[in-house]
Amino acid sequence: MHKIWLIVKREYINGVKRKAFVVMTLLVPLLGIISVVLVAFVSKHGSNQSLRLAIVDNAGSSAASIVQNLSAVMANGAHQFTISETLDRPADSKGIEQQLRASINIGKLDAYLVIPSDLSHPFELHMKNTGNFAAMAPVTAAVNQASIEARLRARGINVDNVSEIVRAADLQVIKVSESGESVERGQTFGIAIGLVLLLYMSLLMYGILTMRSVLEEKTTRTMEVLVSSVQPIQLLAGKILGVAGVAFTQFLIWIASLALLLTYGAFMAAIFGGGSFPAIHIPASLLVWVICYFVGGYFLYSSMFAAIGSACSNEQDAGQLQWLAMGPLVFAMSFYWLVMIDSTSTPSLVLSEIPFLAPVLMPLRISIQTPPVWQIALSMFLLLVTVFGAVWASAKVYRIGVLMYGKRPTVPEMVRWLRYS
Amino acid sequence: MDAISLENVTKSYDGVTAVNGVSLRVRQGAILGLLGPNGAGKTSTIRMVMNILAPDEGSIHVFGEPISDKIREAIGYLPEERGLYPRMQVRAVIVFLASLRGMPEAEARRRADEWLERFELKDWADKEVRDLSKGMQQKVQFIAAVLHEPRLVILDEPFSGLDPVNATTVKDVMLEMRDRGTTVVLSTHRMEQVERMCDSICLIDKGRNVLDGELRAIKQSYGKNTVQIEFTGSDAFLSHPAVASVNRLGSGAEVKLNPGGNPQEILKAALQSGAQITRFELLEPSLNEIFIEKTGHA
Repeated sequence: MHKIWLIVKREYINGVKRKAFVVMTLLVPLLGIISVVLVAFVSKHGSNQSLRLAIVDNAGSSAASIVQNLSAVMANGAHQFTISETLDRPADSKGIEQQLRASINIGKLDAYLVIPSDLSHPFELHMKNTGNFAAMAPVTAAVNQASIEARLRARGINVDNVSEIVRAADLQVIKVSESGESVERGQTFGIAIGLVLLLYMSLLMYGILTMRSVLEEKTTRTMEVLVSSVQPIQLLAGKILGVAGVAFTQFLIWIASLALLLTYGAFMAAIFGGGSFPAIHIPASLLVWVICYFVGGYFLYSSMFAAIGSACSNEQDAGQLQWLAMGPLVFAMSFYWLVMIDSTSTPSLVLSEIPFLAPVLMPLRISIQTPPVWQIALSMFLLLVTVFGAVWASAKVYRIGVLMYGKRPTVPEMVRWLRYS
Repeated sequence: MDAISLENVTKSYDGVTAVNGVSLRVRQGAILGLLGPNGAGKTSTIRMVMNILAPDEGSIHVFGEPISDKIREAIGYLPEERGLYPRMQVRAVIVFLASLRGMPEAEARRRADEWLERFELKDWADKEVRDLSKGMQQKVQFIAAVLHEPRLVILDEPFSGLDPVNATTVKDVMLEMRDRGTTVVLSTHRMEQVERMCDSICLIDKGRNVLDGELRAIKQSYGKNTVQIEFTGSDAFLSHPAVASVNRLGSGAEVKLNPGGNPQEILKAALQSGAQITRFELLEPSLNEIFIEKTGHA
């Protein structure tokens, strides 16, 4: 045990002293802070430019309604649209449009809207920056309402405020769970996506870190000195635990900075200008399950990555073989949408019970809709059995692999190593 | 009790026999030269003694005990495939390796400083390994192998990469250790080092122990069957029937005699053929010759 501890300690100290670790650990929270500040800043100061819009009304009935509907006011108090002119049924429509295009090109105008003479034809919005979705949405709504208003009028119904009548009904989605009900505003989806990405990225990242660490001992030829003092299984265990310590430290720093960000995020956002900061509530039970599956997944994948590292003599060979371990993770990622759409379906159930996919897909299912206890228990059991099998097999491959230099072994060769005493 | 005793040890990988029934005893407090051509099975033998590989057959004892993790701590090992963590500090890496061999860290740190001083690496103790030259790293590796005062030291090509000054320091340390009762196993290709330092040798070829014993006794058993001649003029005498083989040197030749061949006959033949003899000496065979004779190749 003492020797394992010595290896864990060395692995940990050298892991956290690595430049890549320091940069990653600091960069992620820093990017978080920057993005919060940026969002707050943009929402206040971003699009304070009023969009200069001309309207060519070939129907002669809807311009007023559209102008009225485009009277939205921005955060800074200015109108989002400035209607530079309204041309009511111009004689030379084509000529007018040509002039307006010229105005846009010399920067005197941002866009012009053409109302068709027959309202069943499409409206046209001519603009330079067609990527400006923020401007397109209100115009679409205004045009929509104007055409509804016109159709109602044609049927003899006169209304002052169409928007009030045709306003879409609200559908509030409320999530039902054992702990009560909560209003759904997309946070389930957000948490689920966040979880999948977090689990996938960290399993991959720390797995590869373990592999690199094993590979470093081989490429620097430190390995034989080590295995002359400690058993390969001790070395493997120390390495996996040491990298786990590094991962844990990184997570702790990230979680602490996330907590700070959530606490002071609103405060910071307020300083840099308005914008509400979403409050995200993550259930404690979900957190516990995520940690359990992460730990299981970490041991499963990092032992596989360690075995691959031990079998190879250089980065290139390891790069080819690492697909053995990355494959299942990528597979899990390519099916997460299936679980997301219906987490109770049979495919979701089957996929989340497969031990190699469970560390990503089961927490995803739990976050969407907690499955029956037996399903979680079964997947956890299968995962644990597989972890023991993987650690055993990795230790076998490892103890042979660490002394092999030269040609990269084939997969059948590695399988044969499992039978060596 | 022998420092190492191997009984009929066999090891094969995927059908290739690397070590084939090797038996060997290494006396305590001796320096043993482990010799053999490339791929002869030296490294596999050493790895089995170090318990890195398990033998397929046979038994291995170190200081009378079957090899175990505990007894392994009494061994210092400098493998041929050796290296250090490039990003660790010199002292830290020495202390780490010593503590893996059971030495308390504080004690290891104190001794590391003593050894670094002896090898003139004191100023490098806090530098990272990758900042050191290859020769300096070799010295650090040597320190790491002997720091925990092992009773048995196994050194695989300890002099490779060392300049003459440092090679001498390493040689002196080895002799000092021997004088203190430490057993040293030296695996190398450099015959002149073995000849100068070793008390006994073991020659392994194609997985078999082809020759072992005290170096002096081995050489004597070959008798003085080699003649070193320096001469000018005709070399016709070199084809005399008593000559078994000739190794031409710059100023003459080293001549091996046939069994029963009389060196006087050669001298007579040389004088008769008109060669000017400047030196004529009867020698024991060099280890190199014994090596070549036993293995059939250099």
